[in-house]
Amino acid sequence: MSETSPLLRVTGLVRHFPFREMQGLRMTTATVKAVDGIDFSVRAGRTLGIVGESGCGKSTTARLLTRLDEPTGGRIEFRGRDISHVGESQLRSFRRDVQMVFQDPYSSLNPRHTVGSILRTPLRVHGLHPGREKARVRELLELVGLGPEHANRYPSEFSGGQRQRIGIARALAVEPRLIVADEPVSALDVSIQAQVMNLLATLRTELGLAFVLVAHDLGVVRHFCDEVAVMHLGKVVEHGERRQIYAAPVHPYTQALLSAAPDINVVRGAAPRERIRLVGDVPSPIDPPSGCHFRTRCWKVREVCHRQEPPLVSVEPVGPPAPPGSGPHRHACHFPEVRSRVVAQPPAGAGPRRP
Amino acid sequence: MTPADVVLEVTDLSVAFPTEDGVVRAVSGLSYQARLGRTLAIVGESGSGKSVAGMAVLGLHDPRRTRTTGSIRLEGEEVVGASEWTLQALRSTTAAMVFQDPMSSLHPFHRVGRQVAEAYLAHHSVSKAVAHQRAVEMLDRVGIPNPHRRANQFPHEFSGGMRQRAMIALGLVNNPRLLIADEPTTALDVTVQAQILDLLGDLRREFGSAVILITHDLAVVAETADDLLVMYAGRAVEQGPAREVLSRPSHPYTEALLRSIPSPSEDAAQLRPIRGAPPSLLTPPPGCSFHPRCAFSDGMGAVCRTDAPAWRPTPGVVNRHLRCHLADPVAAIEIAGGAR
Repeated sequence: MSETSPLLRVTGLVRHFPFREMQGLRMTTATVKAVDGIDFSVRAGRTLGIVGESGCGKSTTARLLTRLDEPTGGRIEFRGRDISHVGESQLRSFRRDVQMVFQDPYSSLNPRHTVGSILRTPLRVHGLHPGREKARVRELLELVGLGPEHANRYPSEFSGGQRQRIGIARALAVEPRLIVADEPVSALDVSIQAQVMNLLATLRTELGLAFVLVAHDLGVVRHFCDEVAVMHLGKVVEHGERRQIYAAPVHPYTQALLSAAPDINVVRGAAPRERIRLVGDVPSPIDPPSGCHFRTRCWKVREVCHRQEPPLVSVEPVGPPAPPGSGPHRHACHFPEVRSRVVAQPPAGAGPRRP
Repeated sequence: MTPADVVLEVTDLSVAFPTEDGVVRAVSGLSYQARLGRTLAIVGESGSGKSVAGMAVLGLHDPRRTRTTGSIRLEGEEVVGASEWTLQALRSTTAAMVFQDPMSSLHPFHRVGRQVAEAYLAHHSVSKAVAHQRAVEMLDRVGIPNPHRRANQFPHEFSGGMRQRAMIALGLVNNPRLLIADEPTTALDVTVQAQILDLLGDLRREFGSAVILITHDLAVVAETADDLLVMYAGRAVEQGPAREVLSRPSHPYTEALLRSIPSPSEDAAQLRPIRGAPPSLLTPPPGCSFHPRCAFSDGMGAVCRTDAPAWRPTPGVVNRHLRCHLADPVAAIEIAGGAR
């Protein structure tokens, strides 16, 4: 296995949810196209952020990557092995390599198990550290900033931030190579979010972990991710290095998202940004618009956008040069155009905030 | 002497809930004013008392389970201890509230137009047809397309953003002088959040009313607020013009919060989190309730651990208040920021 080949490769990934609904007096079958043909890859030690609005398919993607859900089409390859449809026994070895951190630290821990038992379970399932589980649990608690005395307590005795640390320790128990984190800090208090983000960053460096981070907070994603994929109605509409996406986005949806994201820097002497306000709501994933799914809210819409769905293609790099070895900057728009002023431009040296 | 543009004057407000485990002091010694034509943001984490303080303004706490002391004057009228009759008259004509979750605040079985019309009928002697017309106008005003058709639909037929617009229409139908919006965009996507925040700003300019925006999100405050009140563990810790407070914070908590938020417009190498977690309101720490997490309390001796700091004008700047023992907090924070 060479260094450059990806840890995780996703090709044409599809997840459709069929459901039955009443149309007048007739029962009909409709389909929610939650994930509708997406491609990307994640190399060892790298972090991919997936952003988008609710209903864009980012959480479904996270569940597919961890095989908590099975794709309707396409391939997920982990270290060259197709795991899209493998059964439970083969999933076991896959789950040693790929673990998930969930959004809600309240519902994702069993309230009737002690923290020690929650952390011992993955060790037992995978037959790891036989005979020294207790010591391993202690190591795991230490790794996430908790103490050995916490092993005998129940989740209800912990705050949200501490519970999220327990969830992270559980994911780390099997020494995975990739962690998929679905909104890991959005349920936490503002003053606690940075603690958990910093913990994840430290673990990433110390353990050489790769991450897929699903989040709606564009500040969190900019802070944590090497690459960003922007999803809209089940499709990736733009994907590139973090700097390409934030400094030189080409897809109008990415530009609108960035322009709408509230930013604390506007009061710190940052140059004001271009203001883009979308009109209307996200279309339904049951009955998406023809052609480009973004056309109903796009200000650049022309006739071809109604007819033809734009494919995801590479753009010639513009703006700051990408670091060596970085992937191409891709977009799915008939009329791509770089707009670099959709995020505020912080003044050089950015004030007293970050010396 | 209260200037004429002050719609709301809160003085030494405390709200406590007696529970089986003890008394929860949700709000303690809170004083502030809201002025016409301005947006005041009240910022805090969960348990800071920001929502409890907002609900108290409309007298929404059950008096049998709540101990409210101090004074809340809405256009000169006292709310604390007022009869339900007085409160009914104040609600929606003088002050109205928009909640975070419009799905649970709108009646699911009633058509949206009817709900807005009813709020109008409660305070105006007009025919149902006139009230319906008024409801359609309001739905149009808050940017709901096809307001005639939409007025006859039920809340479940609206998207999240449209429901929040309907809630705002319901709040504004009687032209209140004060609109309290409690986390109005927290449940919404960022593109829709931007629409709703713009709408609140437009309506404030058009009607000249006062807006209180209750939120946990300092970035939203930076984008929308004129004035800012920061709450921690039931108390106001800092207050002043929003831009000034956010660019030159004087309270260690405000400063620490600002350092811990990642921004979409810069690459930050490392976030600086606040140590520890927010305190329980059943057993708040003695002295200053922020002292266990404060970066400055170690160098201050025992005073932060023993004495609760008073609410006082911030030294060295105008129009600002804070609750902190530091002698010259703005300078102390700037020096510490430079040293880090």
